[in-house]
Amino acid sequence: MEKKDLKEKFKALLVTVGDAVLVPLLAVFTAIIIGGIVIAIVGGDPFAAYKGLFQGAFGSVKALSETGVWATPYIFAGLAVSLAFKGGLFNIGAEGQLALGAVASAWVGYALPQMLGFDLPWFIHLPLAIGAGLLFGFIWGAIPGALKAYTGAHEVINTIMMNYIALNWVSYLLNGPMKDKNPLNVIARTPLIAESARIPPIFAGLRIHWGFVLAIVVAFIVWWVLWKTTFGFEIRTVGINPDAAKYAGINVKRIMTLTLGLSGMLAGLAGTVEVTALNYRHELGFSTGYGFDAIAIALLGKTHPAGVVLAAILFAAMRNGATRMQFLTQIPVDIISVIQALILLFVAADAIVRYIYRIRRSGGKVVLTRGWGG
Amino acid sequence: MKKIYTLFALVLVASMLLAACGAPAATPAPVATEAAAAATVAPADTAAPAEPTATTAAAAPATDDCKSPDLFCVGVVTDVGKIDDKSFNQSAWEGAKQAETDLGAKVQYIETTDAKDYDKNISTFGDANYDVIVTIGFALGEATAKAAATYPDIKFIGVDQFQDTTKPVPANLVGLVFPEDQAGFLVGALAAQMTKTKKIGGVFGTDAVPPVWRYGEGYKAGAAYIDPTVEVTAVYHNDVGFDKTFSDPEWGATTANGMIDKGVDVIFGGGGKTGNGAVIAAAQRNVYAIGVDSDQYFTLPEAQKMLLSSAMKLITPGVFDLIKMAKEGTFPSGNYVGQAGYAPYHDLDSVVPDAVKAKMQEIFKGLLDGSIKTGVSPAKP
Repeated sequence: MEKKDLKEKFKALLVTVGDAVLVPLLAVFTAIIIGGIVIAIVGGDPFAAYKGLFQGAFGSVKALSETGVWATPYIFAGLAVSLAFKGGLFNIGAEGQLALGAVASAWVGYALPQMLGFDLPWFIHLPLAIGAGLLFGFIWGAIPGALKAYTGAHEVINTIMMNYIALNWVSYLLNGPMKDKNPLNVIARTPLIAESARIPPIFAGLRIHWGFVLAIVVAFIVWWVLWKTTFGFEIRTVGINPDAAKYAGINVKRIMTLTLGLSGMLAGLAGTVEVTALNYRHELGFSTGYGFDAIAIALLGKTHPAGVVLAAILFAAMRNGATRMQFLTQIPVDIISVIQALILLFVAADAIVRYIYRIRRSGGKVVLTRGWGG
Repeated sequence: MKKIYTLFALVLVASMLLAACGAPAATPAPVATEAAAAATVAPADTAAPAEPTATTAAAAPATDDCKSPDLFCVGVVTDVGKIDDKSFNQSAWEGAKQAETDLGAKVQYIETTDAKDYDKNISTFGDANYDVIVTIGFALGEATAKAAATYPDIKFIGVDQFQDTTKPVPANLVGLVFPEDQAGFLVGALAAQMTKTKKIGGVFGTDAVPPVWRYGEGYKAGAAYIDPTVEVTAVYHNDVGFDKTFSDPEWGATTANGMIDKGVDVIFGGGGKTGNGAVIAAAQRNVYAIGVDSDQYFTLPEAQKMLLSSAMKLITPGVFDLIKMAKEGTFPSGNYVGQAGYAPYHDLDSVVPDAVKAKMQEIFKGLLDGSIKTGVSPAKP
């Protein structure tokens, strides 16, 4: 009897885990297999390529450090998109929120001491720089959130629109008023931020910085807020059924605005940390689409903070390992984009994955059921 | 139950995969890598036949080891973009490939996908003890200078990275820069020979940027060298800020059209998207157009049928020469001035008279050997 209970529990757990973990894992697995076939077709050796990829991502202390560096903005941006999903909102504006967060932090980082005419201590300057990024990210998310809540304007359209406004605004600032005035500089970028506005690396000589730790902490906070607080419950309720939420006395409009605002804030943090912990300046084209990769990461992580962290590390490992893969095998790094696109395809259309792997099982199904059924 | 089976299957396959990846002596991988390396080196490897077969076999694993003093390794790090971009990246890579053919060098490239990877990509070659690392584009300048300090034994070639020689430049770092005035001079001479109306035009970004000034003034000088009576209308986009001067194709097109309305029949566009706008507008009006920096026949397909040529920075020979100097121990430091040139006529090859082609060759040689001078100051006075 007791044994059966345990078995039932195990079964139930497997079903949960199966749904949450199995499909993404199989999606990744299938994408890697197909990616390997593509590599073979273009004349490369898939085993050598994946070996290089693995070495480049995890093969040394430096590789691990660089994977962490790549994972940091992915985690923040992935959390941003996930949080919006939990509230039933699709935030495609992470890219713009991220750029604004970065530019705001950069401005506080380099211009504020000049304006004030004296240096700030780091414990004032750094929080100000980070705060500026959070604020601009929040505003940029809250605007489409409020538009959705109070006018019904669809957030997908508006977050995309806000991307254009943000990116062009940032482009103007970097080419114009905020451009590094050094006469040798021809690039659209800000001057370097002051030392007092920088997040330090964790270990000397490696680029991995405390921003990565912050990302993990923030992931935990997001989980805690979503599942352990009333506010989080309200967000999830609005996400599942706004009408029911309204009936239950939740201020749906306020929650919607706040959800997208907080989502934007997390995306802004991605940009902020890149500026304050890694690049020490904002530069045009510094993001190669973290805000869009974030959507894939959120989906792959099943919009759960823990899943997002894992998915972000996976994407980071692939992006980071690609360098060594190309160094060793001269296979185009585009293959990584192909694999990531396949992962997204299989996660989004999980019926494909379920279908593929059921087919394979169907032959042994009867035998297995008998074997385990007794 | 199905799920249990799937999970087991997955764990099994995953463990096999990991085992294959993790095993240091996984046989398929190294063999394949060497085969690939051999395949790329084979066509032109001059060193291999000189060595006995036995050593070649023994040396094969060392092919990947650039620590060996016998192996001369050249690594190329691109700017964000592809190695076959038909522009700077590709030209620099061709220079490295020539070093593979002519000097028996081992050459590898890494394509940068994100600006934050500049450091990492350079140090991937640095940590592998490459002899020369070529970085392409101004944007890699800082990362290159930093790496030059970290790896004092490695020679660094920064394509289009002007070194500020008022400060000390590391002895193992050279910026490959180009005489834009000569490139402008060449296409100016070409334009002056091809015009029927004796009116030619140039549309440029701001002349506060020295290379743009050198292109524009070189263009005027080249036209005057052929025929001082040719009227050159050169307009710099100085009326806007730095944010707009290189990214204003509408202005470029309008300016070009204005010139064409006044009888100009050759337009040289120099200055990012602004210049491109002028080149495309000229081609649309069936007026000869001239591109800039690299052979824009490949980067501006809209303008192909009327693209006469392009004022080019000859990156390929510049990169090769510097690699050669590194190998021979005559590596310069500071700035190394490469060559300027002009792109092939492509679709208009049959339209350009042989006499003009001969004259262009003559001027090109004259500029190279110094018998022709452009007389253009390095920056706007």
